[in-house]
Amino acid sequence: MTPAIRIALMTIKLVTRTKVALFFTFIFPLLFLFVYAGIFARGNPEAVVYMFGPVVTLNIMGSGFWGLGMQSVMYRERGSLRRYRLAPIGPGSMVLSSLLANYLLQLPTLALLVFCATVFFRMPLHIHLLTLLILATIGTFAFAGFGLTIASVANTMQEAQVYNNVVWFALLFLSGVTVPLPLLPHWIQRFAAFLPATYLVTSFQAVMLGGQSLFDHRAELLALLVSGTFGLLFAWKLFRWEKEEKISTRAKVVSISFIAPFLVMGLWMNAHNNFTATWSQTFSLMSRPPMGPGERASGAGGILLDDFEKPDEVELLLKNWQVSTEGNAAGRSLGELEVISPGAEGTGNALRFKGHVETAPDSDRGSVAARYPFTLPAGATSLRGAQLEARGDNRLFQVRLIPPDPTLPTPSLRFVPDSEWQVIHLPAAWLRNIKPAPGKGTLVLELRVEGPPGDFHLDIDEVRLY
Amino acid sequence: MASDTQPPVVRVEGLRKRYGDLEALRGITFEIEAGEVFGLLGPNGAGKTTTIEILEGLRQQDAGSVFVCGMDPGREQAALKERIGAQLQATVLPDKIRVEEALSLYAGFYRQSASIEMLLDRFGLREKRRTFFEKLSGGQKQRLALALAMVNDPELVLLDEPTVGLDAQLRRDIYTLIERFREERRTTLLTTHYIEEAERLCDHVAIIDRGQVIALGTPRELIQRSGKGAHIEASLAKPDSLERLKKLDAVSDCLEIDGRYVLHAKPVATAVAALIRYLEAEGNALVDLHIAQPTLEDVFVEMTGRRMEDW
Repeated sequence: MTPAIRIALMTIKLVTRTKVALFFTFIFPLLFLFVYAGIFARGNPEAVVYMFGPVVTLNIMGSGFWGLGMQSVMYRERGSLRRYRLAPIGPGSMVLSSLLANYLLQLPTLALLVFCATVFFRMPLHIHLLTLLILATIGTFAFAGFGLTIASVANTMQEAQVYNNVVWFALLFLSGVTVPLPLLPHWIQRFAAFLPATYLVTSFQAVMLGGQSLFDHRAELLALLVSGTFGLLFAWKLFRWEKEEKISTRAKVVSISFIAPFLVMGLWMNAHNNFTATWSQTFSLMSRPPMGPGERASGAGGILLDDFEKPDEVELLLKNWQVSTEGNAAGRSLGELEVISPGAEGTGNALRFKGHVETAPDSDRGSVAARYPFTLPAGATSLRGAQLEARGDNRLFQVRLIPPDPTLPTPSLRFVPDSEWQVIHLPAAWLRNIKPAPGKGTLVLELRVEGPPGDFHLDIDEVRLY
Repeated sequence: MASDTQPPVVRVEGLRKRYGDLEALRGITFEIEAGEVFGLLGPNGAGKTTTIEILEGLRQQDAGSVFVCGMDPGREQAALKERIGAQLQATVLPDKIRVEEALSLYAGFYRQSASIEMLLDRFGLREKRRTFFEKLSGGQKQRLALALAMVNDPELVLLDEPTVGLDAQLRRDIYTLIERFREERRTTLLTTHYIEEAERLCDHVAIIDRGQVIALGTPRELIQRSGKGAHIEASLAKPDSLERLKKLDAVSDCLEIDGRYVLHAKPVATAVAALIRYLEAEGNALVDLHIAQPTLEDVFVEMTGRRMEDW
């Protein structure tokens, strides 16, 4: 085991033994989640998705600046680094161990946040967990570089606190971490394009809610990676074991080049990119009140898959939809489809998926699913996801869009429809990159209801790709 | 001091170091032979820690040459650290690290390491193996610091003020541990400002003051080289004249302290014989007599005009 890994593992062990560190590592981020998702998002699952990025970013920033950065300065001031210096280990091992410990401590926190957001706030996870992990990893790397750079140039704890506060508050209020960017004045949004936290927040939101891919945000993510690399290099080159060692003004000036990737990125975004419109578009996805009564699919744009308005095709329609029962009580659950009238406001018909869920005595599982296989129609380009209108009986349902290629992620969304019509969005980033090939490559829209046992019904209408 | 057959483990020549306006080291030179315990003795601020930190590779000298185990600490740090063990004047470890974890962590940094169980036994830490660093007493922390210096089974041990701040009993415990180093023929350099520590533990001592070595040799050599003789403390039946006592054979000076007469004498046997003859002749008599041999403290006072604790 290398010294860096040894020190990192020991650091993690020490964190788990320190109440204050435990609180700020695991409890504090959860408090933010509960405030953001419970108060700001007001129970709107799509808003929770929108808020999730800022919560994770805030946690990543905090660990980079106040955890990793300040800890490095504190260890130097206390004289803890001197004992390490007597051993045959170099600055590289020390910097790497800090980075590694910080990252490994982030993982359980991220898992906790995902768990609490999905369980307590019904946050739909539209993207693959790996995508979320990649975003969090890049963010952690970048802000670790930031924190370590500040720790490298600060001679004392007080100095580090001053630097941290200046950067921290700018990022906190101007990068969408606390106030959604589209709510800020336009000129501040343009300034926000220079801030690294903006890249992370908007990438989280666009990927998690807007159905975009990581590749769509490659420029922002690259800027974060480059700055993180700069930060690590500075931390390595400027590493000081002793508090008596002071850093030269020249080195401080050179270290400012850490922000170069953000300057380049900000200039490029301001010159070539209609980024504020994109931010607003993502914001509108969560700000649309999903539980509002009688809401129509906005603009009714995209490609209509079915609105159930042709009574003569009912038979065909019912053939296209497949109902199946699964689970330990297979065969005992029942499901059927029928066309009902009226449909969602302004339409004549809708599809009702109804039945009964039964579970085996030794299991609470058992499910009924309705599947609608389809191929992408010609002209289906630049799509971002599926949407449908739904109402139900306050049971938990799940909608999934199964891709034609099994290697692609399957976006899914859990929702609890009440008796009012509501619009359900299911972003699928890969839709954008799939070329229409009528008759080939079948996609499946699946509606599923699971235990507990009992009757259910779900009405759907206006099934579209958007 | 270096023998003809074996090169010295440490060779320091003309070592100079400056911190701003302060010239901390002003041309220090000494050598340490394999297997000996060498002491750098001097008051606080004399330059002991700066010297030992240069040997450890923690600081770079401004001038002069240093070779430790045949290597230049400034240029061959990684290789040198594998062969030396060092204890800092103040060892700061994380509060929540356990004794055995600290030993295991540091042992893992080296290619070759000593057995953790052996170190726990040897340094009396077995019962404290699961104790957090913050819960250790001062003596236990110092024993752990010494054990950490030994995790790589070093051929040279550098100890910076290993007993500072400890009470007499704890100091004696540490002395016992250091004496084991000598028994193992492990070369040891220690800095200290405790006279008895240098006299008891060291084969050779360099007395250092204001960045310079002012005396170098075995403790006995240094004391014998001292111009001052032994102190004869005598209580007499009747008061006597200081001036007449000063004129006795082999007596260089005489003081009266709290009714007792303190005679500086060399050689001491001649002076005692002269004192007894004088008292018989004067009808006086000895009530009590103590003879104190000169110490390294006396050597220091003689050479600098100051006592070591004045600093």
